[in-house]
Amino acid sequence: MNETLHASGVSVHYGGVQALADVDLEVNEGELVGLIGPNGAGKTTFVDALTGFARYTGTVSIDGRDLAGMAAHQRARLGLTRTWQSTELFDDLTVSENLAVGSRRPSPWQAAKDLISSQAASTPAIEQALDLVELGWAADLMPDELSQGQRKLVGVARAIATVPRLMLLDEPAAGLDTAESEELGRRLRSLAHAGTAMLLIEHDMGLVLGVCDRIVVLEFGKVIAAGTPEEVRRDPRVVEAYLGSAGAQRAAESLDA
Amino acid sequence: MQQVLLFVLLGLGSGALIACIALAVVLTYRGAGIINLASGALAMLSGYTFWSLTSGQYGGVEFATAPALVLTFVITLLFGALIELVAFRPLRNAAPLAKLVSSLGVLLVAQASMVLAFGVTQKPQKSVLPSGTVHVFGTTVPVDRFILAGIVIAMAVALTLVYRFTRFGLATRAASESEPSALLAGLSANGLSLANTLLACVVAGTLGVLAASVTQLDAISLPLLVVPALAAALLARLTSFAIACVAGLGIGIINSLVDYFSTKSWFPTDHGVPLPGVKELIAFLLIVVAMFLRGAALPARGELVERRLPEVPRPGRVALPALGLALVCAVALIVLPFDFRQALINSMIGTIMALSLVVVTGYVGQISVVQLSLAGVAGFAVSHMAVDAGIGFPLAPLAGTAAAVVLGVLTAVSALRVRGVSLAVVTLGAAVAISQFGFVNSTWGGGDTGSPVPEPHLFGLDLGPHSAFRGLDGGLPSPVFGWVVLAITLALCLLVAGIRRGGLGMQMLAVRSNERAAAAAGTDVRAVKLTAFAISAFIAGVAGTLYAYNFGSVSDERFDALTALSLIAFAYVGGVTLISGALFAGLISTEALFPHAFDKWLGISGNWFLLFGGVILIFTLIQHPEGVAGAIYKRLHPRRGPGVPSSGATPSLAARRASPSAAVER
Repeated sequence: MNETLHASGVSVHYGGVQALADVDLEVNEGELVGLIGPNGAGKTTFVDALTGFARYTGTVSIDGRDLAGMAAHQRARLGLTRTWQSTELFDDLTVSENLAVGSRRPSPWQAAKDLISSQAASTPAIEQALDLVELGWAADLMPDELSQGQRKLVGVARAIATVPRLMLLDEPAAGLDTAESEELGRRLRSLAHAGTAMLLIEHDMGLVLGVCDRIVVLEFGKVIAAGTPEEVRRDPRVVEAYLGSAGAQRAAESLDA
Repeated sequence: MQQVLLFVLLGLGSGALIACIALAVVLTYRGAGIINLASGALAMLSGYTFWSLTSGQYGGVEFATAPALVLTFVITLLFGALIELVAFRPLRNAAPLAKLVSSLGVLLVAQASMVLAFGVTQKPQKSVLPSGTVHVFGTTVPVDRFILAGIVIAMAVALTLVYRFTRFGLATRAASESEPSALLAGLSANGLSLANTLLACVVAGTLGVLAASVTQLDAISLPLLVVPALAAALLARLTSFAIACVAGLGIGIINSLVDYFSTKSWFPTDHGVPLPGVKELIAFLLIVVAMFLRGAALPARGELVERRLPEVPRPGRVALPALGLALVCAVALIVLPFDFRQALINSMIGTIMALSLVVVTGYVGQISVVQLSLAGVAGFAVSHMAVDAGIGFPLAPLAGTAAAVVLGVLTAVSALRVRGVSLAVVTLGAAVAISQFGFVNSTWGGGDTGSPVPEPHLFGLDLGPHSAFRGLDGGLPSPVFGWVVLAITLALCLLVAGIRRGGLGMQMLAVRSNERAAAAAGTDVRAVKLTAFAISAFIAGVAGTLYAYNFGSVSDERFDALTALSLIAFAYVGGVTLISGALFAGLISTEALFPHAFDKWLGISGNWFLLFGGVILIFTLIQHPEGVAGAIYKRLHPRRGPGVPSSGATPSLAARRASPSAAVER
C-alpha cells in the first residue's frame, strides 16, 4: 500500500514547553488512523505542525514529497486538509461558498472569467460533499443559521470537498449525538475505502475504536502506544494514561474477574 | 548650539499638547476599547470654551480667569458625558471599524460646530500661566514651557499610579483584559468606560486651555494633532502612560527642531520656501517604526460579544438594473440644469471612491484611510505629466492609475503585518504625510494654487467637461464628460459585483472571516490581500484621474486627511460592504447631489452639512450598523433561524452565536 503521510521525529516547542517530542506516524492510502490521548497530549499540536500552523523540527512528507518550509496554503494545495476543533467556518460566506473556497481554486484566467459570467458557487464536488453529511438542503444558508453540530459537519464537508490526499479531522463528532456520530463514522469509513487517508482525533472512544484501522496514543507529546483498536484497548499504558494508575489497577482487576 | 537648545525647550509647549492628547488616546482605548480620533478635538472643545468665556463672545459676560477655568472644567465634563453616552456606549459591542467611525463622527461634529461658531481664523487664547522667562544654559526660555511639560508629566505619573494602585485602575485593567470575567466579578463596564472617557476629556481639555496660548487655537490643526499623538500612543502600545507622555514631548521637540532647521540654508527648499510636510512625514515614520518595533498587533481586548463587519450578500442579477439606472443617469445628464449635472458627476466620482473602500474594507475587512491619497497621486500625476512632460490622454491617466496601484501595493505590504484598527492608524498617518509632504509641495504637488489639468481628447474628440455639446441649458460641464464618468462608474460597479460573485471574492471574504481557516483551505492570504489592495488602489486611481479632469485642476484640499476620513464616514453610512452602499455614499459625498440639494433648497451647506453628516453618521452607526443600503437589504431578505429543517439538533441561542473565535483550544 502507498504511504500517504510519513512523519518522523516531529517535535514542537512552545517557548520552553515541549508540546511534541519525536513523534513518528504514517498513514497509508485508504487507511483511517485514530489519534487519541488525554487533554493536552499534543494531538491538535500535531495537526497544527502537519498543516503548517506550528513550527516543528523533523520531517513530514505527503506522497513522498517533503513539506519542509511550506506555508499552510501550499500544504493545503498538496491535498493536506484539516478540520478544526472550534469549527472555524467562514461566517461571511454561505455553506456552499464555504466549501467552494477550498475546492475551487481558479486560475487567474478563470478568476477573470468569473468577473463576467455569473456562475453558481456550487460544483458537483461541493454538492457531493454536502450530500455526504446530509446537509444538501443548507447549501445557501449562512453558517450562523445552523446548529453547532451541523456547523461541525459543514467543516467536515469543507475538508471533503477539496478531494484531499490526507484529511486531518480534529474532533469532528463533538456536538453530535450518538446516532449522528455513528453515521459520521460510517461515512468516514466509506471515504477511506475510496482511497482517502485519514487521521481522526476524537474523544468519542466508541467512534474511534469502531471505525479506525489503527490507533496511535499520545501522552505528554510522546507516542505511548500504537496498534489495532483491540491491541490499544488492552494496552496497560493506555489504560493508565486515561484512568490514572489507581484506575488502571481497578480496570485490570475487572478484566481479570 | 544655544539656538538648538532654545528650540528644544520651546518644543516642550507643543510637545505637552501632543503628549496630553496621547494620554487621552491611551485612556479611551483602555477604558472603552476605542481609538478615539476625536482626542485632539476634545482639546479644541475645551480651548474654545475657555476662549469664549474669557473673551465674552458668547453670553456677553467676560469671566475672570478663575471662574472661567471652573466653568470650562464643568463644561468639559458635560461634553465628555455626552460623547460617551451618545457615541461610545451604544457601540460597546460593535465592530472595531464601527467604533473608529463613531469617534470619527464625533470629530466631524466637533470640528464643524467649532468652525461654524468661531470661524477658521486662529484665536488669541488668554494665557493662564505666568509669562516670565528663565535663563537656562545661556538662553532665555519662557517659563510656561516648563510648567506645561511639568503638568503633563504630573498627569502621566498620576494616571500611572491610579491605574496601578487604585481599585478603579485595577477594574479598568481587568475589564480590558476580559470583559466577561469583569462582569462576573461585578464590575460595571459602562461605568468604567464613562469614567475613563471623562478622564480623557479632562486630560486633553487641560492642555487645550493652557497650551493653546503657546501654540494656537484653531479648528483645523488642533484636531489633526491626534496623528502625532497616535504615534506617541502607539509607541506606548496604547497602555503605558509614561511612554506616551515622553514620546509626545519628544515629538513636540522634534517638530520644534524642524522649525529651527528649516531656517537654515542647508534645509531643502521648494521654490524658496522650506520643504513643507516634514513634520507630518516624521509622525508617519514614527507610527511605522512603532508598529514594527512594538509588534504589529495592538493589545487585544477580551470582549463579551464577537464583533463582525456587516455581511456581504452575493449580488443577484445586477446587469439589468445597472443598465436601467445608467440609462436614467445618461438622460438626466442632458436634462438636468448645469449645477445638478455637476453634482451628479461628483456623485458618480464619489461612488467610485466608495467602491474602492468596498473592496478593501467591505470584502477583505482592512480599514485603509489612504485610498483618497492614492486618488490624489493619480490626479497629480495626470496634471504634472501634462504640464511638465506634455503627456496627455489616455496615457497620462493610465500612468497615474498605475502609480496609485504601486503605492497601494506598498501600503498592502505593511497591511500584511498590520491589520484592523492598527492599519487604520498607519494609513491615517500616511494620508496626512502624503497630503502635506506630497500635495502641498509646489514642485510635485499643487502648491497654493493647485496644478492645472488639460481637457482629455481622444481622436480629436473633446471628452472633458468643456466639450462642445452642453445639454439642454447650454451650461458647463458638458454631458459628454458625464457620460464618460457614467460608463466608467458602471464598469467599475459591475467589476466589484463580479469580484464578489467569483472565486476571488469568496477568497477575500474567507480571509476577512478567518485568516487561519482560509490558509488551511489553500488560500494564499498574502496574495489575496495584495490583490485586494491593488484592485482597490486601481479604482481609487481611476477616481483620482476623473477628479482631475472634472475640476480642470488638482489641489491638496481635495485629498487631505479630513476629507479622507469623511469619505470613510460616507462609505460606512451608505453601507461599506455593498455596491448599492457605494452608490448611496456617492450621493451624500462632498459636493454631490444630496449636499447640493440641501444647499440649494434648504440653505444647508459646507460645515452645516458636515455637522449634520456627523450626527447622522453616529445615528446610523447605532441604528443600522450595516449602513443604509445594508438595512434596506436586510428588510428585503429576512434571515431564517438556526437549524431549519433541524436534523435532530435543537436550535439554541448558544448554538447560533457560538462561533469560531480566535481562541483555539490547544
